[in-house]
Amino acid sequence: MARPTPNGLTQAFQALRLHSSTTSRPVTRCLARQTRTYATEVEGQQPSALATQEQAPAAPEIDFTNFSRRPARIVPASPSYFSGSPRFIDHVLKLESLQAKYASLPTVAAGDAPRMAWFKLAQFRDYVGEPVPMKKYKSLVKILQRLNRIQPEMVPGDVKRTLESFLRPGNPYAVQHVQRTVDENGRARAKGKRKESTAVVQLVEGEGEVIVNGKSLVEAFQRVHDRESALWALRCTQRLDKYNAWITVRGGGVTGQAEAITLAIGRALLMHEPALKPVLRKAGVITVDARRVERKKPGHVKARKMPTWVKR
Amino acid sequence: MIVRKLCVRQSRQLLALNRQAPAYTRFLSTETPIDTAVQTPPKESSTPAQNPLHEVVQASRDIAQLNPRQQWGELEKRRHTFNNLGSSVQESYDPEDLIRNPPKPSDITLEMLLAAGTHLGHSTSRWNPQNSRYIFGIREGVHIISLDVTAAYLRRAAKVVEEVAARGGIILFAGTRKGQKRAVVRAAELAKGYHIFERWIPGSLTNGQQILGHCETKVVNAMDQELPEFKADLADRPSVKPDLVVVLNPLENVVLLHECGLNNVPTIGIIDTDADPTRVTYPIPANDDTLKGTSLIAGILGRAGEAGQKRRLEMAAEGKTAYEPITARQLRLDPLTGSAPPGSDLDKAEQA
Repeated sequence: MARPTPNGLTQAFQALRLHSSTTSRPVTRCLARQTRTYATEVEGQQPSALATQEQAPAAPEIDFTNFSRRPARIVPASPSYFSGSPRFIDHVLKLESLQAKYASLPTVAAGDAPRMAWFKLAQFRDYVGEPVPMKKYKSLVKILQRLNRIQPEMVPGDVKRTLESFLRPGNPYAVQHVQRTVDENGRARAKGKRKESTAVVQLVEGEGEVIVNGKSLVEAFQRVHDRESALWALRCTQRLDKYNAWITVRGGGVTGQAEAITLAIGRALLMHEPALKPVLRKAGVITVDARRVERKKPGHVKARKMPTWVKR
Repeated sequence: MIVRKLCVRQSRQLLALNRQAPAYTRFLSTETPIDTAVQTPPKESSTPAQNPLHEVVQASRDIAQLNPRQQWGELEKRRHTFNNLGSSVQESYDPEDLIRNPPKPSDITLEMLLAAGTHLGHSTSRWNPQNSRYIFGIREGVHIISLDVTAAYLRRAAKVVEEVAARGGIILFAGTRKGQKRAVVRAAELAKGYHIFERWIPGSLTNGQQILGHCETKVVNAMDQELPEFKADLADRPSVKPDLVVVLNPLENVVLLHECGLNNVPTIGIIDTDADPTRVTYPIPANDDTLKGTSLIAGILGRAGEAGQKRRLEMAAEGKTAYEPITARQLRLDPLTGSAPPGSDLDKAEQA
């Protein structure tokens, strides 16, 4: 390929100009031809415009469309490029600016703010595509919580949109728990668990009869303490003689079975009388004891016990 | 009355002078003052004078019955009204002002630097003798940095930032100390640069592909508009390196400065009396422990960068660039081999 020399280029341009001057050009396009005219003057009286054009040719127009489509630089997409986690830092800065912007808006107590299910850490890492540490994500959630505490009627649109972008898909707080009630025969059926035991209680209004696995309470539980704890929900609310309970309990030992019954009776009683909830909560009846036996580990005698040290 | 008598009886000097002391006795008097001769005539207004805040106070009485939005509006209105009352403070220091509206390099004065505390160095025992030419003297066991030197070096640094910005350079502002974040981000925002306010990840320059490889880059034209058609060509490209690094705390960022040295990246740094001035290319001798001072310097450099960017965009509007733009051909070439990728349009064109 023969590259055009500068001399060759000028020659080519001259050839072009010669060619263009001979052919008829659109008159309106040429700036140099437009001279000042008055309204009283008659067109056609001006001196030949072509001559002036030859003396001072107009500068070539900058091709803006082409220039703007030409690449100039490779630059980072985000100002926090050099931090290594630009998307996360951009999110934090955006949230901080929002917080500063709307700092004067009234807030509600943290408990009264709408419940929001923010991304879990793993989901957030997927969302930004960067390995964000737990601590940094917690600081981001803190800002989210502060923005969420703005008085619900006055939340600005941009805050609302930003907060929604941090919600995990499928709102877990939208699911309403079904309040279970007494059935048509006046029975309240509830389950309770403790250790390995599971108890199912059917509670009806009555005179205080209790049947555990077809046996009376005294036969089922030898110890007084177990009997006390099984009926603790009825005893602390003074309803021992107002309900009959028909109980099935499986698995575990005596204590576990008794305390599983406590929980089940407490739940069944709440179906009959929901107003008792604070009393029962205080009596420790509706709190689930989630402790289970810790598994045995290899190298240990029990869950944590180490074998005795033997010399040689 | 008793007091007056006591005064006369006890005060020997007054007796000796044998003259009345109306000025003193008047202050001691418990009586109501006598009417002066000149009396201000009562205003000829039919309506009695009203407290200007009367309406506001009246309106805010039943604030408890309003809904939260109206309540807040009322409170804001009240605040707005009451804030204008009282004396107006003419000149005061607002810490936000340095962030919101930092001064330009042409506004640098020694008073401004002094007010920001940039002259305070470290205890004389901690000094680095290489800084002796920047030190004015010793006061109470602390080195005092010469402010005219600070101003001169700061102006030079501002010029460097401006020229780099005008030539389309990538300017990185780094300030990793607690509290420097906002100043750093603001300076980067003004200068259209980049910021670091947390830890500098060692190897971001020397091992850039590993550390910054996943971070997004873009191809822009001279007017800073993104050109999405070159997006595919950005894969497997080496990470972007800054063309100028401004460090507000060089003591803690030795690794960053070392990497810049290895990559021939010029650096600007605030050099306190205990820092090593040879670690940076363009030192600014000043106190790096005061947030007011560092945010002032960061703001000035940010403004300088802003001016440079403005110049660059003005040139671009005329269709000129002060730097050599990357060409479409360079972008299309394989970054690893430096030749046209096989099978591409570019390859076919070269074959022909």
